[in-house]
Amino acid sequence: MKIAMQDTAKSRRSRSSESLILFCIGTQTFAIAADAVQEIRSTDSLATAAVEMELAEVPKVRHLVERSHRTYYVVSGCVHFGLRVTRPTLVLILRQIRTAVLVDSIERMVDVSKVHALPQAFQGEERQWYRGLTYLEDRVIPVIKPDGFLTPEEFARLDRASKSIEARHELEGAVQA
Amino acid sequence: MSGAQNHARKSWVLLHVGNRRFALPAESVMELAPPVRLHNFPHTSRLIAGVIVRRGRIVPVYDVAPVLCGRESSVHRFYLIADRAFGTSASPDSSEASAIPVNGECELATGEMQPPQENAPTYFAGTLAIENENIDVLDLQKLVSAVRDNPSAANHAEPRP
Repeated sequence: MKIAMQDTAKSRRSRSSESLILFCIGTQTFAIAADAVQEIRSTDSLATAAVEMELAEVPKVRHLVERSHRTYYVVSGCVHFGLRVTRPTLVLILRQIRTAVLVDSIERMVDVSKVHALPQAFQGEERQWYRGLTYLEDRVIPVIKPDGFLTPEEFARLDRASKSIEARHELEGAVQA
Repeated sequence: MSGAQNHARKSWVLLHVGNRRFALPAESVMELAPPVRLHNFPHTSRLIAGVIVRRGRIVPVYDVAPVLCGRESSVHRFYLIADRAFGTSASPDSSEASAIPVNGECELATGEMQPPQENAPTYFAGTLAIENENIDVLDLQKLVSAVRDNPSAANHAEPRP
Protein backbone atom coordinates (compact mmCIF):
# COMPACT_ATOMS: atom_id res chain seq x y z
CA MET A 1 0.00 0.00 0.00
CA LYS A 2 1.26 3.44 -0.83
CA ILE A 3 1.50 5.18 2.48
CA ALA A 4 4.54 7.16 3.55
CA MET A 5 6.46 6.01 6.61
CA GLN A 6 5.34 2.46 6.12
CA ASP A 7 8.89 1.16 5.87
CA THR A 8 10.05 2.83 9.04
CA ALA A 9 6.99 1.56 10.85
CA LYS A 10 7.66 -1.92 9.55
CA SER A 11 11.18 -1.97 10.94
CA ARG A 12 9.90 -1.06 14.39
CA ARG A 13 7.18 -3.66 14.30
CA SER A 14 7.77 -6.75 16.33
CA ARG A 15 7.65 -10.08 14.55
CA SER A 16 4.39 -11.19 16.05
CA SER A 17 2.42 -8.05 15.34
CA GLU A 18 0.35 -7.24 12.30
CA SER A 19 -0.33 -3.91 10.66
CA LEU A 20 -3.97 -3.03 10.23
CA ILE A 21 -5.67 -0.09 8.58
CA LEU A 22 -8.60 1.23 10.58
CA PHE A 23 -11.33 2.69 8.42
CA CYS A 24 -14.83 3.98 9.01
CA ILE A 25 -18.14 3.40 7.34
CA GLY A 26 -20.71 5.60 8.98
CA THR A 27 -20.05 5.47 12.70
CA GLN A 28 -18.59 1.99 12.56
CA THR A 29 -14.86 1.32 12.60
CA PHE A 30 -13.41 -1.71 10.82
CA ALA A 31 -9.89 -3.02 10.39
CA ILE A 32 -8.23 -4.64 7.42
CA ALA A 33 -4.73 -6.06 7.08
CA ALA A 34 -2.51 -3.39 5.52
CA ASP A 35 -1.00 -6.11 3.32
CA ALA A 36 -4.41 -6.74 1.80
CA VAL A 37 -4.75 -3.18 0.49
CA GLN A 38 -2.99 -2.16 -2.69
CA GLU A 39 -4.10 1.43 -2.95
CA ILE A 40 -6.30 4.00 -1.29
CA ARG A 41 -7.86 6.52 -3.67
CA SER A 42 -10.40 9.26 -3.33
CA THR A 43 -13.71 8.55 -5.02
CA ASP A 44 -13.25 11.76 -7.04
CA SER A 45 -9.98 10.54 -8.52
CA LEU A 46 -11.64 7.36 -9.74
CA ALA A 47 -14.87 8.95 -10.92
CA THR A 48 -13.77 9.30 -14.55
CA ALA A 49 -12.45 5.74 -14.70
CA ALA A 50 -15.53 4.15 -13.13
CA VAL A 51 -18.04 2.39 -15.33
CA GLU A 52 -21.59 2.14 -14.08
CA MET A 53 -23.15 -1.24 -13.77
CA GLU A 54 -26.33 -2.36 -12.11
CA LEU A 55 -27.03 -5.95 -11.33
CA ALA A 56 -30.12 -6.77 -9.31
CA GLU A 57 -28.49 -9.91 -7.89
CA VAL A 58 -25.50 -7.96 -6.57
CA PRO A 59 -26.90 -4.60 -5.48
CA LYS A 60 -23.83 -3.70 -3.43
CA VAL A 61 -21.81 -3.28 -6.65
CA ARG A 62 -22.72 -0.33 -8.85
CA HIS A 63 -19.41 0.41 -10.54
CA LEU A 64 -16.35 -1.27 -11.92
CA VAL A 65 -12.94 0.27 -12.45
CA GLU A 66 -9.99 -0.82 -14.55
CA ARG A 67 -6.65 -0.69 -12.75
CA SER A 68 -3.46 -2.11 -14.23
CA HIS A 69 -5.43 -4.11 -16.82
CA ARG A 70 -7.61 -5.68 -14.16
CA THR A 71 -11.30 -5.14 -13.52
CA TYR A 72 -12.17 -4.28 -9.93
CA TYR A 73 -15.74 -4.38 -8.71
CA VAL A 74 -16.54 -1.48 -6.40
CA VAL A 75 -18.47 -2.69 -3.36
CA SER A 76 -20.47 -0.29 -1.23
CA GLY A 77 -19.31 -0.91 2.32
CA CYS A 78 -22.63 0.40 3.67
CA VAL A 79 -24.73 -2.01 1.64
CA HIS A 80 -22.38 -4.91 2.30
CA PHE A 81 -22.57 -4.51 6.08
CA GLY A 82 -26.21 -3.42 6.15
CA LEU A 83 -25.35 0.03 7.49
CA ARG A 84 -27.12 3.31 6.87
CA VAL A 85 -26.04 4.62 3.47
CA THR A 86 -23.45 7.38 3.67
CA ARG A 87 -21.48 9.36 1.13
CA PRO A 88 -18.17 7.53 0.78
CA THR A 89 -15.09 9.56 -0.04
CA LEU A 90 -12.43 6.86 -0.35
CA VAL A 91 -11.93 3.61 -2.19
CA LEU A 92 -9.77 0.79 -0.83
CA ILE A 93 -8.42 -1.14 -3.81
CA LEU A 94 -7.58 -4.58 -2.54
CA ARG A 95 -4.52 -6.59 -3.41
CA GLN A 96 -4.91 -9.93 -5.21
CA ILE A 97 -8.71 -9.71 -5.07
CA ARG A 98 -10.64 -7.89 -7.77
CA THR A 99 -12.55 -5.87 -5.24
CA ALA A 100 -12.52 -2.21 -4.30
CA VAL A 101 -14.45 -1.02 -1.27
CA LEU A 102 -16.14 2.32 -0.75
CA VAL A 103 -15.48 3.71 2.73
CA ASP A 104 -16.04 7.02 4.46
CA SER A 105 -12.63 7.67 5.97
CA ILE A 106 -9.34 6.19 7.10
CA GLU A 107 -8.77 6.48 10.80
CA ARG A 108 -5.13 5.39 11.01
CA MET A 109 -2.76 2.44 10.84
CA VAL A 110 -2.05 0.35 13.92
CA ASP A 111 0.08 -2.62 14.84
CA VAL A 112 -1.78 -5.27 16.78
CA SER A 113 -0.35 -8.32 18.45
CA LYS A 114 -3.52 -10.40 18.42
CA VAL A 115 -6.62 -10.93 16.35
CA HIS A 116 -9.19 -12.87 18.37
CA ALA A 117 -11.24 -15.52 16.60
CA LEU A 118 -14.83 -14.53 15.98
CA PRO A 119 -16.84 -16.19 18.78
CA GLN A 120 -18.73 -19.28 17.64
CA ALA A 121 -21.93 -17.58 18.74
CA PHE A 122 -21.78 -15.57 15.53
CA GLN A 123 -23.31 -17.83 12.91
CA GLY A 124 -24.57 -15.40 10.28
CA GLU A 125 -23.02 -13.70 7.26
CA GLU A 126 -20.45 -12.13 9.55
CA ARG A 127 -18.49 -15.39 9.45
CA GLN A 128 -17.79 -14.51 5.81
CA TRP A 129 -17.21 -10.84 6.56
CA TYR A 130 -14.76 -11.05 9.44
CA ARG A 131 -11.50 -12.83 10.06
CA GLY A 132 -11.77 -12.02 13.72
CA LEU A 133 -11.91 -9.21 16.23
CA THR A 134 -9.24 -7.01 17.68
CA TYR A 135 -9.35 -5.17 20.99
CA LEU A 136 -7.78 -1.77 20.77
CA GLU A 137 -7.98 1.08 23.24
CA ASP A 138 -11.22 -0.14 24.79
CA ARG A 139 -12.82 -0.81 21.42
CA VAL A 140 -13.63 -4.12 19.80
CA ILE A 141 -13.05 -3.74 16.07
CA PRO A 142 -13.95 -6.37 13.49
CA VAL A 143 -11.08 -7.38 11.22
CA ILE A 144 -12.29 -7.79 7.66
CA LYS A 145 -11.75 -10.84 5.47
CA PRO A 146 -10.65 -9.28 2.17
CA ASP A 147 -12.19 -12.10 0.15
CA GLY A 148 -15.47 -11.86 2.02
CA PHE A 149 -16.91 -8.95 0.08
CA LEU A 150 -17.92 -10.97 -2.96
CA THR A 151 -18.56 -14.67 -3.31
CA PRO A 152 -17.27 -16.66 -6.31
CA GLU A 153 -20.87 -16.77 -7.59
CA GLU A 154 -21.14 -13.00 -7.35
CA PHE A 155 -17.82 -12.62 -9.19
CA ALA A 156 -19.11 -14.90 -11.94
CA ARG A 157 -22.32 -12.85 -12.30
CA LEU A 158 -20.38 -9.60 -12.30
CA ASP A 159 -17.90 -10.93 -14.86
CA ARG A 160 -20.78 -11.85 -17.17
CA ALA A 161 -22.35 -8.41 -16.73
CA SER A 162 -18.97 -6.74 -17.25
CA LYS A 163 -18.42 -8.64 -20.51
CA SER A 164 -21.80 -7.55 -21.85
CA ILE A 165 -21.00 -3.91 -20.93
CA GLU A 166 -17.67 -4.22 -22.74
CA ALA A 167 -19.36 -5.73 -25.81
CA ARG A 168 -21.94 -2.92 -25.82
CA HIS A 169 -19.20 -0.28 -25.63
CA GLU A 170 -17.32 -1.93 -28.50
CA LEU A 171 -20.47 -1.96 -30.59
CA GLU A 172 -21.16 1.70 -29.82
CA GLY A 173 -17.56 2.53 -30.75
CA ALA A 174 -17.88 0.68 -34.04
CA VAL A 175 -21.16 2.45 -34.87
CA GLN A 176 -19.58 5.85 -34.17
CA ALA A 177 -16.55 4.97 -36.30
CA MET B 1 -29.45 -41.98 33.95
CA SER B 2 -31.62 -39.21 32.57
CA GLY B 3 -30.58 -35.57 32.32
CA ALA B 4 -33.10 -34.68 35.00
CA GLN B 5 -31.66 -37.25 37.40
CA ASN B 6 -28.19 -35.94 36.67
CA HIS B 7 -29.23 -32.54 37.88
CA ALA B 8 -30.84 -33.80 41.08
CA ARG B 9 -29.77 -31.95 44.27
CA LYS B 10 -27.34 -29.73 42.50
CA SER B 11 -26.37 -26.15 42.98
CA TRP B 12 -28.05 -23.58 40.84
CA VAL B 13 -27.52 -19.93 40.12
CA LEU B 14 -30.79 -18.04 40.20
CA LEU B 15 -30.86 -15.02 37.93
CA HIS B 16 -33.34 -12.30 37.04
CA VAL B 17 -34.15 -11.62 33.40
CA GLY B 18 -36.85 -9.00 33.03
CA ASN B 19 -39.17 -9.58 35.96
CA ARG B 20 -38.75 -13.34 36.07
CA ARG B 21 -36.32 -15.65 37.82
CA PHE B 22 -34.57 -18.46 36.04
CA ALA B 23 -31.88 -20.94 37.02
CA LEU B 24 -28.67 -22.19 35.46
CA PRO B 25 -26.56 -25.09 36.71
CA ALA B 26 -23.92 -23.54 38.98
CA GLU B 27 -21.14 -25.54 37.34
CA SER B 28 -21.81 -23.81 34.04
CA VAL B 29 -21.62 -20.31 35.51
CA MET B 30 -18.22 -18.66 35.36
CA GLU B 31 -18.84 -15.26 36.92
CA LEU B 32 -21.16 -12.34 37.41
CA ALA B 33 -19.46 -9.50 35.57
CA PRO B 34 -19.96 -5.81 36.32
CA PRO B 35 -21.66 -3.55 33.77
CA VAL B 36 -18.74 -3.27 31.38
CA ARG B 37 -19.03 -1.69 27.95
CA LEU B 38 -21.07 -3.53 25.34
CA HIS B 39 -19.34 -3.41 21.96
CA ASN B 40 -21.34 -3.59 18.76
CA PHE B 41 -20.50 -4.22 15.16
CA PRO B 42 -22.57 -5.29 12.17
CA HIS B 43 -23.70 -8.90 12.18
CA THR B 44 -26.77 -10.95 11.33
CA SER B 45 -26.80 -13.44 14.18
CA ARG B 46 -30.08 -13.42 15.98
CA LEU B 47 -30.18 -12.76 19.70
CA ILE B 48 -26.62 -11.43 19.94
CA ALA B 49 -26.56 -7.94 21.40
CA GLY B 50 -22.81 -7.48 21.01
CA VAL B 51 -19.69 -8.52 22.86
CA ILE B 52 -18.00 -7.62 26.11
CA VAL B 53 -14.34 -7.96 27.01
CA ARG B 54 -13.71 -9.86 30.19
CA ARG B 55 -10.31 -11.01 31.48
CA GLY B 56 -8.78 -10.58 28.04
CA ARG B 57 -11.46 -12.63 26.33
CA ILE B 58 -14.13 -11.44 23.94
CA VAL B 59 -17.46 -12.76 25.17
CA PRO B 60 -20.66 -12.69 23.08
CA VAL B 61 -23.72 -11.30 24.83
CA TYR B 62 -27.05 -13.00 24.22
CA ASP B 63 -30.06 -10.78 24.75
CA VAL B 64 -32.42 -13.51 25.87
CA ALA B 65 -35.07 -11.21 27.38
CA PRO B 66 -37.23 -11.07 24.21
CA VAL B 67 -37.36 -14.87 24.15
CA LEU B 68 -37.87 -15.44 27.84
CA CYS B 69 -40.04 -12.44 28.67
CA GLY B 70 -41.43 -11.46 25.29
CA ARG B 71 -39.84 -8.02 25.36
CA GLU B 72 -36.56 -6.19 25.81
CA SER B 73 -35.54 -5.78 29.41
CA SER B 74 -34.54 -2.30 30.47
CA VAL B 75 -32.94 -3.34 33.74
CA HIS B 76 -29.76 -4.99 32.46
CA ARG B 77 -27.07 -4.07 34.90
CA PHE B 78 -24.68 -7.00 35.02
CA TYR B 79 -23.61 -9.89 32.82
CA LEU B 80 -23.84 -13.47 33.95
CA ILE B 81 -21.11 -15.36 32.13
CA ALA B 82 -21.74 -19.05 31.57
CA ASP B 83 -20.26 -21.78 29.47
CA ARG B 84 -22.25 -22.51 26.34
CA ALA B 85 -21.70 -25.91 24.74
CA PHE B 86 -21.68 -26.29 20.97
CA GLY B 87 -22.68 -29.47 19.19
CA THR B 88 -25.28 -31.82 20.62
CA SER B 89 -26.23 -31.70 24.28
CA ALA B 90 -25.13 -35.31 24.71
CA SER B 91 -21.69 -34.82 23.15
CA PRO B 92 -20.71 -31.18 22.91
CA ASP B 93 -17.87 -30.43 20.49
CA SER B 94 -16.65 -27.32 22.24
CA SER B 95 -17.75 -24.60 24.58
CA GLU B 96 -17.53 -20.84 24.76
CA ALA B 97 -17.97 -18.25 27.48
CA SER B 98 -21.29 -16.52 26.84
CA ALA B 99 -22.92 -13.62 28.64
CA ILE B 100 -26.54 -12.97 29.52
CA PRO B 101 -27.58 -9.50 30.70
CA VAL B 102 -29.15 -9.76 34.15
CA ASN B 103 -30.20 -7.23 36.71
CA GLY B 104 -27.53 -8.29 39.17
CA GLU B 105 -29.63 -10.06 41.74
CA CYS B 106 -28.16 -13.53 41.40
CA GLU B 107 -28.09 -16.07 44.18
CA LEU B 108 -26.93 -19.61 44.74
CA ALA B 109 -29.49 -22.25 45.63
CA THR B 110 -29.56 -25.99 46.09
CA GLY B 111 -32.49 -27.99 44.94
CA GLU B 112 -33.81 -30.95 43.09
CA MET B 113 -34.73 -30.33 39.51
CA GLN B 114 -38.14 -31.60 38.47
CA PRO B 115 -39.13 -32.36 34.89
CA PRO B 116 -40.25 -29.34 32.87
CA GLN B 117 -43.91 -28.44 32.82
CA GLU B 118 -46.01 -29.93 30.08
CA ASN B 119 -45.74 -27.97 26.82
CA ALA B 120 -42.80 -26.00 28.19
CA PRO B 121 -40.35 -24.75 25.55
CA THR B 122 -37.46 -27.12 24.90
CA TYR B 123 -35.00 -24.63 26.34
CA PHE B 124 -36.41 -25.26 29.82
CA ALA B 125 -34.54 -28.29 31.13
CA GLY B 126 -36.77 -28.57 34.18
CA THR B 127 -38.10 -26.64 37.14
CA LEU B 128 -36.91 -25.95 40.66
CA ALA B 129 -39.27 -25.41 43.56
CA ILE B 130 -37.62 -22.70 45.64
CA GLU B 131 -39.33 -20.42 48.14
CA ASN B 132 -42.80 -21.41 46.94
CA GLU B 133 -41.84 -20.47 43.42
CA ASN B 134 -41.39 -22.71 40.40
CA ILE B 135 -38.26 -21.54 38.67
CA ASP B 136 -37.50 -22.69 35.14
CA VAL B 137 -34.03 -24.11 34.59
CA LEU B 138 -32.47 -22.83 31.38
CA ASP B 139 -30.66 -24.95 28.83
CA LEU B 140 -28.51 -22.19 27.38
CA GLN B 141 -27.58 -24.08 24.23
CA LYS B 142 -31.20 -24.92 23.42
CA LEU B 143 -32.31 -21.42 24.30
CA VAL B 144 -30.06 -19.73 21.77
CA SER B 145 -30.60 -22.50 19.20
CA ALA B 146 -34.37 -22.11 19.55
CA VAL B 147 -34.09 -18.62 18.19
CA ARG B 148 -31.90 -19.70 15.30
CA ASP B 149 -34.33 -22.50 14.41
CA ASN B 150 -37.45 -20.43 15.07
CA PRO B 151 -36.81 -16.83 14.02
CA SER B 152 -40.15 -15.63 15.36
CA ALA B 153 -38.82 -16.29 18.85
CA ALA B 154 -36.77 -13.09 18.65
CA ASN B 155 -37.01 -9.82 16.84
CA HIS B 156 -33.49 -9.48 15.42
CA ALA B 157 -32.88 -10.30 11.79
CA GLU B 158 -31.19 -7.35 10.16
CA PRO B 159 -27.52 -6.53 10.57
CA ARG B 160 -26.81 -4.92 13.88
CA PRO B 161 -26.07 -2.28 15.14
